[in-house]
Amino acid sequence: MTETQHAHHGTRGKPSVALFVTCLADLLRPSVGEASLRLLRHARTAVSVPPQQTCCGQPAYNSGDYDAVRPLAKQVIAMLEYADYVVLPSGSCAGMICEHYPRLLEGEWRDRALQLAAKTYELTTFLVEVAGLEIQAQAPGSGPTVAYHDSCAGLRELDIREQPRKLLRELCGADIRELQQRDVCCGFGGTFCAKMPEISAKMADDKLNDVLATGAPILTGGDLGCLLSLAGRARRLDMDIEVRHVAELLVGDTDGPAIGEGD
Amino acid sequence: MSTSARTDIFARLRHAAGSAGEDVLARRDELGHAPPPALPAEDLAEAFLCNVLRNRGSIDTAADRSAAVKAVGRYVYQHYRSQRLVAGNDPRLAAMPWRDAGVLPRFGALESGEAVALSFARLGVAELGAAVTWTGKGNPAVNNLLPEHHIVLVDVDDLVATMEDAWQRMADAMREQGRPRGVNFIAGPSSTADIEGQLVYGAHGPRHWHVILLGETAPDTGQRARERAAGS
Amino acid sequence: MESTSDRFLLNASEALRDTPRAQRRDVMAAFTPLIRNAAVEGFAAFEATRQHVKRVRQHSLDNLAFYLGQFEHEAVQNGMRVHFARDAGEMNSTVLDICQQHGARRVAKGKSMVTEETGLNDFLQDAGLTVRETDLGEYIIQEAGETPSHIVGPALHKSADEIRDLFLQKHDLGERELAATGDMVDEARQVLRRQFLDAEVGIIGSNALIAENGYSMLVTNEGNGDLCANLPPVLVICTTIDRVLPRAEDAAAMLRLLVRSATGQAQTCYTSYYSGPRRAQDPDGPLETHIVLLDNGRSDILEGDYREMLECIRCGACLNHCPIYSSVGGHAYGWVYPGPMGSVLTPLLTSLEASAALPNACTACGRCAEVCPADIPLPDLLRDLRAQESEQRIDAARWRLGLRMHAWLARQPRLYRALTSLAMTLLHRLGHRRGAFRRLPLASGWTGQRDFPVPQGKTFMQRYRQRQREH
Repeated sequence: MTETQHAHHGTRGKPSVALFVTCLADLLRPSVGEASLRLLRHARTAVSVPPQQTCCGQPAYNSGDYDAVRPLAKQVIAMLEYADYVVLPSGSCAGMICEHYPRLLEGEWRDRALQLAAKTYELTTFLVEVAGLEIQAQAPGSGPTVAYHDSCAGLRELDIREQPRKLLRELCGADIRELQQRDVCCGFGGTFCAKMPEISAKMADDKLNDVLATGAPILTGGDLGCLLSLAGRARRLDMDIEVRHVAELLVGDTDGPAIGEGD
Repeated sequence: MSTSARTDIFARLRHAAGSAGEDVLARRDELGHAPPPALPAEDLAEAFLCNVLRNRGSIDTAADRSAAVKAVGRYVYQHYRSQRLVAGNDPRLAAMPWRDAGVLPRFGALESGEAVALSFARLGVAELGAAVTWTGKGNPAVNNLLPEHHIVLVDVDDLVATMEDAWQRMADAMREQGRPRGVNFIAGPSSTADIEGQLVYGAHGPRHWHVILLGETAPDTGQRARERAAGS
Repeated sequence: MESTSDRFLLNASEALRDTPRAQRRDVMAAFTPLIRNAAVEGFAAFEATRQHVKRVRQHSLDNLAFYLGQFEHEAVQNGMRVHFARDAGEMNSTVLDICQQHGARRVAKGKSMVTEETGLNDFLQDAGLTVRETDLGEYIIQEAGETPSHIVGPALHKSADEIRDLFLQKHDLGERELAATGDMVDEARQVLRRQFLDAEVGIIGSNALIAENGYSMLVTNEGNGDLCANLPPVLVICTTIDRVLPRAEDAAAMLRLLVRSATGQAQTCYTSYYSGPRRAQDPDGPLETHIVLLDNGRSDILEGDYREMLECIRCGACLNHCPIYSSVGGHAYGWVYPGPMGSVLTPLLTSLEASAALPNACTACGRCAEVCPADIPLPDLLRDLRAQESEQRIDAARWRLGLRMHAWLARQPRLYRALTSLAMTLLHRLGHRRGAFRRLPLASGWTGQRDFPVPQGKTFMQRYRQRQREH
């Protein structure tokens, strides 16, 4: 912990936001981090990116290695608690901080975890419910036609349902085609997809067929884990589905290759 | 073996959950009651009949006992072109003016070959659309369970809103009369969905369940219950 | 019952390849949540009732010795003979003793998952008795020599055609073809009617035991359980010690949750309460009634960290809403209780080591907990079981060590940054043209079934830092 905190305490009245881009975005899809940064700046917040950020610890946590995650959770709490708000472009990582850190820790650390949880938000929720993003509403249908995949952690732990849809509609005039089975898991489940690949693939296929049935050429969602898994499966099956994170769509970043597509 | 199993299990439970103090029942009462379920209609009779219909029962109303036996006769004739049925040795059934309808029940337990049985319910529960019977002298269990058609008379004075109300009344009755061997809440013809989830009536018990509400009700109660059930 | 839970992945793989069954499971998975949701939406007090029943269940478990004692006392007052059984063997031999005391040869049975757990049917049959399951679903799988695939609809894995063929093969049907589902139900009705009348002992399960009055509650739609309870001269109720509720009104509240969650009905056809033999003037009913109260691991669960699991009311909603259950079906789980509730119960009631895959058969999607009428945090309990696997080192070492290393590395930001930047740059160079890898070393779990999307090149943190420096 020798690196200095880049605290931007409410410069010029703007609330300070610590952006935790999540490990998947950091490593595999930095454009999601870039898009998040732009959206938060657009929402008139003083964004900073804590330089020590790595991973929230979900993989080990979900595998039941609580002992390995506790010190990491403390480190993440200490890294983020300086800010007025913490924002993550992922429902499951935000859920990890909001729901599971307090469960994992005790005593003073539990209190700190709860305090952090109270100011931690998934990106689209923060933009809609906290930042009150100024939107010049686009004409309906003037934007892309997309299918939206509700990730389970966001849906059930954080009640993320309408926020990304509202942004997609109003910010980029998207035409949203709803899936038949909106509340069914896509089969990613973190390490589940690698521990039980056949079952996971079956679930991904159900989700992808649901997407195809909507006729939308683009699949989007708020969690890179699900999107990487679905894009990878779509690629394997040669399905013609363009997969992009919702943050990318919201800033109009659709020129580069979609997830799992070549240059 | 059984004694030691008993001792052993109780010892383990006391160890696992602590020994029960005197105040268990006090704490039980502090739990309060479940929220009352909403009824489909304000009028108890209408709500009851509406739920009977939703349970795929058929309904009729009869203002008095003479009308009730006629309703029974009508139902039996419609389905079997006969006047034959069996009824339990319930004094309330024996005292019905059967001659008014030209129906003469055989009193006793249903026997092989008999298709229609009549019971007089102790209670009707509006919340469930269920008729409650107790096993006993006046109500052979087989009469509820084995006929093709089961007809149940429910007195409008015996209607209660909820299961809690039903248990309240039954607890009072049990204090006086002792506890029966069995209490049956019957809510519809026997059914099964065990083959591919398809609903079929007449699994083991009655294929048809007909409820006749006996007593003064608001005009057109049956009709309003039908409309309400059809609308839902 | 014999367990094949240790073969979960193999069982699942086989199940996934059985296309017709997989398709029927998909249909059920789309259909059952709809009817459950409609029933719950039609009952405005569902959530409040759920919370009330939760408090009641916690209270009864906290005072289980008291309420079990009260139930025993009241049941004895009603004329029941009450037996206790520590394990499956004790329950089975208690039931056999009762049968033998009466010289019984034929047993008619209502649906009971507890007797599936103890393997009662095989035990009685080995002793020379004829045991006939009378719930239509249980009857079908008994005729087919199979086990239940669902705790509420035991034969839902079988198609109508399979059942028709089974009946054609097993029954003397003459000219009848059993074309419609109703014809098959009728056929079973006729065959089983004789069984009820001929049986000397009836065996049923219990949905709840009411401490204040000694009654055992039985919830069915077919009425077969009631026939078992009323026609044979001897009745045996087989259930477990954790079913006790303090008051009749508590059973009523629980019933409201149970029926809606189990079948999407507002009310089942038959809800019955039994206690004791026929009374002095009764025209019918059993002459002798027994209840066998089984522990079989429940008192251990009560003492441990999984106590909430004892609040389960066996409605099957978690099965119906679990995408993994609907993908692989109940048999893959290898024992009596499948789906999320089974993945918690099986390790607790058998052995974690032999069923280690089950707690991992979960994406933590949370749909089961959302619908659970007992409000049991099933994904949390499953994760805790995985934690126990990790502690006891019965999970795969490569996973444990790999994830532990990852968690350690995540605490060393500089090293993490250096290693990941290098790896991402390398992967990008190798794969950016195609955009996804078909194979990747050390990632066969992923690339066995799906491509691995190629990273975009420099990590976000590299880019961000670079820009910071440029400013």
